[in-house]
Amino acid sequence: MSLKSPRRRRTVGVVGSLAAAALLLSACSSSPESGEAGESTITVFNGSTGTITENFNPFSSTALQPTNGVVFESLYWYNAAQDEDPVPVLATAFEWNEEGTELTITTREGVTWSDGEDFTAEDVAFTFNLVAETPELNTTGLSAVAEATDENTVVLTFEEQSFMQEPSVLGNRGIVPEHIWKDVADPITEVNSSPVGTGPYTVESFSPQSYLLTKNENYWEEGKPAIDQVRYISLENADSASAALLAGDIDWMSSFLPGLEQLLADNEQLSYVNTPALTTSIFTCSNPELGCEGPQTDAAVRQALYYGIDREQLNNLAGGGFASPASPTMILPERDARWIGDSANSEVPSGAEVDQAEQILEDAGWTEGSDGIREKDGERLSLTIQTVSGWSDYISLNDAMTQQLAEIGVELNPVQLSWNEWNNNQTLGQFQLSLDSIGLQPSNNPYFTYNRWYASTQTVPVGESASAGNAARYSNPIVDEAVLTAGATSDEAVQAEQYAIIQGEIVRDMPYIPIYVNSMLTEFSTENAVGWPSNDDPYALAAAWKSWDNGVILKTITPAE
Amino acid sequence: MRYVLQKIVFYIVAFWAALTLNFVLPRLMPGNPVDIMLSKLAQRGPVTPETRQAIELLLGTDSQQPILDQYVQYMGQVLTGNLGISVTFFPAPVSQVISQTLPWTIGLIGISTVISFLLGVGLGQLAGWKRGSWLDNVIPVTTMFQSVPYFWLALILVFLLGSVWQIFPINGGYDVWETSPGWNAGFIGSVIYHGTLPALTIVLSSIGGWMLGMRNMMVSTLSEDYIVTAEAKGLRPRRIMTTYAARNAVLPSVAGFAISLGFVVAGSIVTEAVFSYPGIGSALLQAVGSNDYALMQGIFLVITLSVLGANLLVDLLYSLIDPRTRARA
Amino acid sequence: MTTVSSDPTVAAEAATRVGRARTLPPLTPKLVAGVGLAGAIILFGLIGPLVVGDPSRVNDIGLSGPSGEFLLGTTQTGQDVLAQLAYATRGSLIIGAVVGVLSIALSAFFGIVGAYAGGWVDEGFSLFSNVMLVIPGLPLVIIISSYVQDKSLLLIAVVLAITSWAGSARVLRGFTLSVRSRDYVAAARVSGEKSWRILCVEILPNLIPLLASQAVFAVIFAILGEAGLSFLGLGASGSFTWGTMLYYAQNGLALRLEAWWWFVPPGLLIALFGAALSLINFSIDEIINPKLRTQTRAARKGWGFSRRELKTIAKEDEL
Repeated sequence: MSLKSPRRRRTVGVVGSLAAAALLLSACSSSPESGEAGESTITVFNGSTGTITENFNPFSSTALQPTNGVVFESLYWYNAAQDEDPVPVLATAFEWNEEGTELTITTREGVTWSDGEDFTAEDVAFTFNLVAETPELNTTGLSAVAEATDENTVVLTFEEQSFMQEPSVLGNRGIVPEHIWKDVADPITEVNSSPVGTGPYTVESFSPQSYLLTKNENYWEEGKPAIDQVRYISLENADSASAALLAGDIDWMSSFLPGLEQLLADNEQLSYVNTPALTTSIFTCSNPELGCEGPQTDAAVRQALYYGIDREQLNNLAGGGFASPASPTMILPERDARWIGDSANSEVPSGAEVDQAEQILEDAGWTEGSDGIREKDGERLSLTIQTVSGWSDYISLNDAMTQQLAEIGVELNPVQLSWNEWNNNQTLGQFQLSLDSIGLQPSNNPYFTYNRWYASTQTVPVGESASAGNAARYSNPIVDEAVLTAGATSDEAVQAEQYAIIQGEIVRDMPYIPIYVNSMLTEFSTENAVGWPSNDDPYALAAAWKSWDNGVILKTITPAE
Repeated sequence: MRYVLQKIVFYIVAFWAALTLNFVLPRLMPGNPVDIMLSKLAQRGPVTPETRQAIELLLGTDSQQPILDQYVQYMGQVLTGNLGISVTFFPAPVSQVISQTLPWTIGLIGISTVISFLLGVGLGQLAGWKRGSWLDNVIPVTTMFQSVPYFWLALILVFLLGSVWQIFPINGGYDVWETSPGWNAGFIGSVIYHGTLPALTIVLSSIGGWMLGMRNMMVSTLSEDYIVTAEAKGLRPRRIMTTYAARNAVLPSVAGFAISLGFVVAGSIVTEAVFSYPGIGSALLQAVGSNDYALMQGIFLVITLSVLGANLLVDLLYSLIDPRTRARA
Repeated sequence: MTTVSSDPTVAAEAATRVGRARTLPPLTPKLVAGVGLAGAIILFGLIGPLVVGDPSRVNDIGLSGPSGEFLLGTTQTGQDVLAQLAYATRGSLIIGAVVGVLSIALSAFFGIVGAYAGGWVDEGFSLFSNVMLVIPGLPLVIIISSYVQDKSLLLIAVVLAITSWAGSARVLRGFTLSVRSRDYVAAARVSGEKSWRILCVEILPNLIPLLASQAVFAVIFAILGEAGLSFLGLGASGSFTWGTMLYYAQNGLALRLEAWWWFVPPGLLIALFGAALSLINFSIDEIINPKLRTQTRAARKGWGFSRRELKTIAKEDEL
């Protein structure tokens, strides 16, 4: 029988005496200062399902999520929740040369590794050289030579102009200790079971069901972190996660829970924050020249879809009322308004603009057919939209849009596929419409969005795999030119001009039709810790699965009184 | 001799068929692991064409190799116990993922299947002996439990006993906060406590079949002539029930048990999904979700082997308890 | 699941004793209840979809309880649960029917034909079905169904049928073997009847109750199997079945939000339909195996029943 965990609110009378003993125990340990049991521990569910395998290798793409940000730190931290300058972490300054080929980084003094050794510029140089020399680890296409010119300075010399490498170099690379990793035989398959990092936590214990991180006593930032231990657990689905949250087993998780307000209503210690960051969009295979087929290759049809859907109803039915308005420029209107060139493009319409949609279709020659569905040259305006079976909010979107678009004479045929097939169709361009989302790039600079989804360098003809991003097969020389120009400078004024050009083009062509900025719900318990990000103070992206921001949140929160 | 030969051929063919099926099926699936891993990466951060190359290198996926070569290579690897590297859990080998999940599955579902069998056969025996008693009338009810979708019943029980009344924990294999795996009372207690509700649901939904089968066999056996003889001899009813009737009546149930024991691993998939139980079933679902060929093959192989093993075991056992089998040989 | 209730040897002896005289089950209360219940559900599946509205139609009132407008309430997105239930009933019944027919056809072919032909054909067929039997069905179905593009109802049904016929084939084979060695079959053979005639006229009628019972099992298996697959998110996509309804209800946290009207009806219908089929099967079992019917009172007395017990039994017999 069980000794009930003192940290749980659940009180159970399974076996009288044992339960009583457990209650006694929980009574003793409720004050945070009473010895070992009083240590503050929080439990995080970061979305991992099933069994967990050990992997704290910061270079590995299958590393456990807290590896980056919590155990290992990057030089800077790019806040995805707010429009702000990169926050210095292991570096205190950086500077590009004129040409954008040389990046000089000043590393932080007074940082020690969790094993007590000093952190130096040598470690930084070692890390980048290891990545650049090992193609298997080089997921960002880094081509640079790093050299530590003195104790606190590293110079990265790139082969070509590389302003846009900045976020991935500074903000997306965990720095490893040279004195440990120089002896690692194979950095690709290393699982690094007792990692030595600079981050606020180190690994205490691991089992396939759960792992425990404990405070790094040597952490460089005075007085942080305040929480002694962080436990990560694995759960199977939203239902078990919601059950565990309500039972008080979880302090921090990010799941979309239908009826969230109702679920949390009776529980004053539970709260949530909504940080919309991903724009749910209809991806269209838009470019007939690269092999796309179907009515959606007509820009007028895409425009009509854009105006024909009633986003308010969609938000209520599928988004749980938590979604916020998107911008046709694919820039987050709340966080990045300054990058939107023309304020007329700042937000999508909220209701359906049926008249406008119908007008667009009429002008383009799509006339109403006998069955109420429009047609042009014998082609019916009937579109197939694919989504993944089980993505219930997207399926609801499809159901609702099918109804809404019938009003303007467009037939929508929703199909549900397995994730594999859906993904396969999208990367190969074998789809008409597909629901997906756009957002969360290395930094908030729109360059990354525009380059990845709109540049013709990122696409290939239908039938080949466009896994780089541009699934719409969008190809526009004006956009390409502007992306290139924006990428070749670090001057934000120049970039803004170029982005305005891109925006003009994509708002007209609409290869991705924005629906709304989807909710990103994160649920907290204030039972064990306080100081979580909130709507008033979104100091970091709250999502429990977001790597780098996790470290910032974990060192900011404090034990509950 | 013919009987033994037949059995040997059977197990060899079954083993080969399972291996081959195992090889063919995942390869027919859409998508390839590199694309899938790339798309998953893209959700977390930037993806460049270099990433693709890096991952192809990493996974060693060489789709150029002819399928026959892959088959030969695969057979060779399996026979030497090398099941490859999991994509989902890279760089963990498949055997590690299996070995850390399999004990949970066998522990939970194996034990509850045994409990269900013993209980079902015992009760079925009594019901068949005392036809028309209350126990006999319960049988249709328990059979109906079998028609209730297992996960539906389990979800309702979890909701009621776990969330509303909070008698049992709702997920996981043990209390991860208070105990750590090892041979200590706390951990073992916690495992038993966490396993009780899943076990209960399994027993509830499967006991009906055993009861009905045993009861029907018992009734049939009781009308055999040798029972009448035994009774005429004046043997005590208890002895007739156990030694004469039940012993013969249980034979088909034992044969059924062989199959069901093997399916323990297979049947665990749904149970583990409901209870977030850390077993092999949830690992299989993870593997399917990410086109993890190696892991899928490994798990399917383990499941098939366990079914074959259980059958072999019962074949041997059966020839011991049922002399007719030997006579046929 | 399929093997326990019909041990081939016992059943075979019994059936031949009964001969071809009685293939229709007696009208017991169990049978009446079973047929009535199953009939009502089938009727709902046939007529329901014609009467109710569009099951996908969304509405602005999400997750509302039963009311005059929506007799069984609405889902998260305001879809009519009753309409969904009607379509789902049809979908699940289609799966059940297709699997029932296919798996009986397969098991009859491999079981009866093999056993009747004997020799190498029998060895081969029997080996094949035994191999199919030990290859675990659910994981195989999961792997196959994640392979199949754009899963339709029929495809799921075919996959379920392929992985489920082997058990029945084994039972049928055992039964056929024993019927085949009966005297009257031998007599027919000696008198020069054609093989197919012996098979169809002399042997098959004896197998009808057993086939029926195996078909009922196959239908239950298929409906439950489809529900399980759907629960794991691997079921038929884009069509309504009891399983997919439960899946969406579960995804929408229906149980936790106490939206019982969404979560309970599909599960209950599966349970009721399964129970109805079990009841029918009880009755079929009693034909196959007459020993299951009644015992003589004398025998009971001999086995040490108390007076009170005998009384209750006597009452039962009069029912």
